[in-house]
Amino acid sequence: MNLDDAKRYVLDRAKARGVAAEIVGQHVREFTARAQQGSLEQLTQAVSGGLGVRVVTGGRVGYAYTEELSRSALDWMFDEAVENASLQRGSAGFLPAGSALGHQDLLGGRLEGSPEAKIAAALGFEATLREDKRVTHVELADYTERVRNVTVASTEGADASYRRGAAGLMAYFVMQDGTSRKQGGEAHWVSDLQQLDPGRTALEFTERTARLLGARPLRTGRYPAYFEPKAFGRLLLAFSTMWSGKAVMEGKSRLAGRLGETIASPSVTLVDDPTLPDGLAARPFDAEGTPARPLTLVENGVLTAYLTNSEVARALGIGNTGHAARSYRGTLNVAPSNLYLRPGQGLRPHRGVIVTDVMGVHAGTNSITGEFSLQGFGMWVKDGEIAYPVENFAVAGDFLTLLRDITGLGASLEWEFWGAAVGAPLVAVAGLSFAGA
Amino acid sequence: MMLSESLVAETLSRASGADFAELYVERWKRRSLRLLNGEVKEASSGLEYGAGLRLFHGTEVTYGYTNDLTPSGLHDLAAHLVTARGREGRVDARGRGGLDFRKTVSGGLHAPAVPFDAHPKRYRVERLLEADGAARVAPEIRQVEPSLLEWEQETLVANTQGVWAEDRRVRTRLSVIAVAADGPQMQTGVASRGMSVGLELLDRYSPASLGRRAGEQAMTNLRARAAPAGTMPVVLGNGFGGVIFHEALGHLLETTSVAKKVSVLSDMLGEDVASPVVTYIDDGTTPHGWGSSEFDDEGAPTERTVLIEKGILKSYMVDRLGALLTGYGPTGSGRRQDYTLAPTSRMRNTYIAASATPVDRLFEGIEFGLYAKEFRGGQVKPGSGEYNFGVQEAYIIRRGRREEAVRGAMLVGKGPETIKRVAAVADDLDMGVGMCGSLSGSIPVEVGQPHVLVSEIVVGGETG
Repeated sequence: MNLDDAKRYVLDRAKARGVAAEIVGQHVREFTARAQQGSLEQLTQAVSGGLGVRVVTGGRVGYAYTEELSRSALDWMFDEAVENASLQRGSAGFLPAGSALGHQDLLGGRLEGSPEAKIAAALGFEATLREDKRVTHVELADYTERVRNVTVASTEGADASYRRGAAGLMAYFVMQDGTSRKQGGEAHWVSDLQQLDPGRTALEFTERTARLLGARPLRTGRYPAYFEPKAFGRLLLAFSTMWSGKAVMEGKSRLAGRLGETIASPSVTLVDDPTLPDGLAARPFDAEGTPARPLTLVENGVLTAYLTNSEVARALGIGNTGHAARSYRGTLNVAPSNLYLRPGQGLRPHRGVIVTDVMGVHAGTNSITGEFSLQGFGMWVKDGEIAYPVENFAVAGDFLTLLRDITGLGASLEWEFWGAAVGAPLVAVAGLSFAGA
Repeated sequence: MMLSESLVAETLSRASGADFAELYVERWKRRSLRLLNGEVKEASSGLEYGAGLRLFHGTEVTYGYTNDLTPSGLHDLAAHLVTARGREGRVDARGRGGLDFRKTVSGGLHAPAVPFDAHPKRYRVERLLEADGAARVAPEIRQVEPSLLEWEQETLVANTQGVWAEDRRVRTRLSVIAVAADGPQMQTGVASRGMSVGLELLDRYSPASLGRRAGEQAMTNLRARAAPAGTMPVVLGNGFGGVIFHEALGHLLETTSVAKKVSVLSDMLGEDVASPVVTYIDDGTTPHGWGSSEFDDEGAPTERTVLIEKGILKSYMVDRLGALLTGYGPTGSGRRQDYTLAPTSRMRNTYIAASATPVDRLFEGIEFGLYAKEFRGGQVKPGSGEYNFGVQEAYIIRRGRREEAVRGAMLVGKGPETIKRVAAVADDLDMGVGMCGSLSGSIPVEVGQPHVLVSEIVVGGETG
């Protein structure tokens, strides 16, 4: 069976059994060209996908999924989901009423191009990386694209699908100057091949790493911090679960019960907008088929909303913001799409540490407690000038305190794409703890 | 068997012109169960099913995958890859005589004692409830979240050199998260165990014991003050403390980064790379180890590889492509998350060997330092050796004594420097489990060590 047939087969079966069911189906096409020393090191071409079901029977919810679309595999999936539902004790589970939204193509011809041209992009990208004599090794230089078809359908009337895609250039490489050795790891994503400029991206990547060569130790102390967009974006995404209505509902967010309170500096306005036309994580509706719309989470420092889905909205007695997230392999959650911190008036670092990137986010942030302690990379700033790069340090603090201590925002918004798209300007923070020499 | 021999042989033979072709087929049942405060929040079951085809032209790789394992699906996959490469290989290693598979199947070294169907799902819920009760060690414990993962993965690897290896990998993992709160303060405790076993995991590590540990740790962290900031001596706890060497050392010894000489430890076999108290072993054969399997994801038997012996570099971790590129013999280290990713050289169960030194000896003479007892994950840049890992439970050491608790902090350093600064290794080897992410995705690994003293590491706490 194909995904469409499989979807209908499962929904029919559910109706016949008197079970409410919701399908999330996904079909992904991947193309990746990896260049090495001027030749094509690895080429990946594939299509894959699967289908996941959420069933509700007697107010109890169960999940299952399959990538095998045979009748027996689909039957297995359905029966497992119903059995899984029977493990719940409650009776409050439900599926939201849905509507037929049709198919929306967010991609159009924006990633159209011959495989040869895409391979050439990877080769040109890698060649430009190596042009810098300080680049001693290129471990990986990829052109990669993923085109995703997502379908949501339910026995409650939801029936919708969309297609979107993104293309990226990514690289891991080593640069050396004297005895100083630094590894760069960068990615740049676009939603339209017209915006792709491999040579320029390669130069930006090497410049980002080259400025860290010759780094000196940083003395332990408390200094003003200037987070570049990439570094701040990593923090923001890691702590975005503090705005998750599900975390609020489960007692795992420190923002619970604080709607309407000032939680951040007045300069902070935080928005999630799935409808951004060029948004790398744009989607016309969420994983329950709820139409997407922009949502302001923090406005001028005041907490204004949590991200919700139908289940969380009902449990918390607030509106459904259309942020249901469920991959076919997953269970119902909430998640941001294109999340960004609104830029400010612009700022010029005076004294402190410019944090160009942080590493170790999965182990060094705790979204329940709000605390972070991360390996940092950056530069020491003195009298308004970059004095020298610094290394071998950690930066630590509490994310909500950091938001209160923001003293300035850069004027331009830059985006990163890590599943969700995250945008931020340069962010100045009054003081953070830096551990080093 | 997931696919017939004739279909496998036909798919491989369609990869005409390649020097080498390999088909990886996988059928993976995954079940997960999460409870929160005594209620089942999510129960899910999944079937992942697909095949990955990899072609070598010299050392250039073409990779593709599909969920369509019908003859036409596999034929399309092979045809697309051959067209994509768009040229003939240099040598046809298969000759013209067709394929003669040497069939090997797993011998059950890691087979579960308790099969999935031995207990109803309800039994699992009842057992997880034991963790909930045990975690509530104080009124401040507000949330208890036990979860159980059960995996049953069948794999087949067949290639044009006649390899046909079938493996069955059953893995079970139990985790408990506890959240303690006091006013606006919130802290967490975690405990987790996983093995290549069935539900007997719950007999080896009772949910109650993990729940209690998670609850106690959450309370310790709730009462702890911020960790200090700066460079100091650190005693690393045994078990999951081995994550430091996984990051600071292990990743630098994978041919994935050694072959391109990206790793700062490339071309150093036989050289003195670590403190002489360090012997480092990667063992894919540990019975029922979380990172064990009988065959790797390239169909090669796994083995026990001594990487470093008394500070001297003895071996890298070598996959098929790494062997082609470097000339080092393969070590059964080719691993991948699933069929969507080509394998690369990866760690399995990796640990620092024990010495005869009693643990208490490590603390003697430390005027001021950190005892990092329990850990979270870490990360490394192999090209510069810069690494980090997170601490989940820690205590101040003063004048050789373990004193007050401090909240977790990240430890950072440069791997090659840190492994020279290992001052002592104790006698109490233990292992911990985790998921390791790299080029070929997220895979189960064990990390381990006895207690270890490192003379200085940057502790990323907060300055007073």
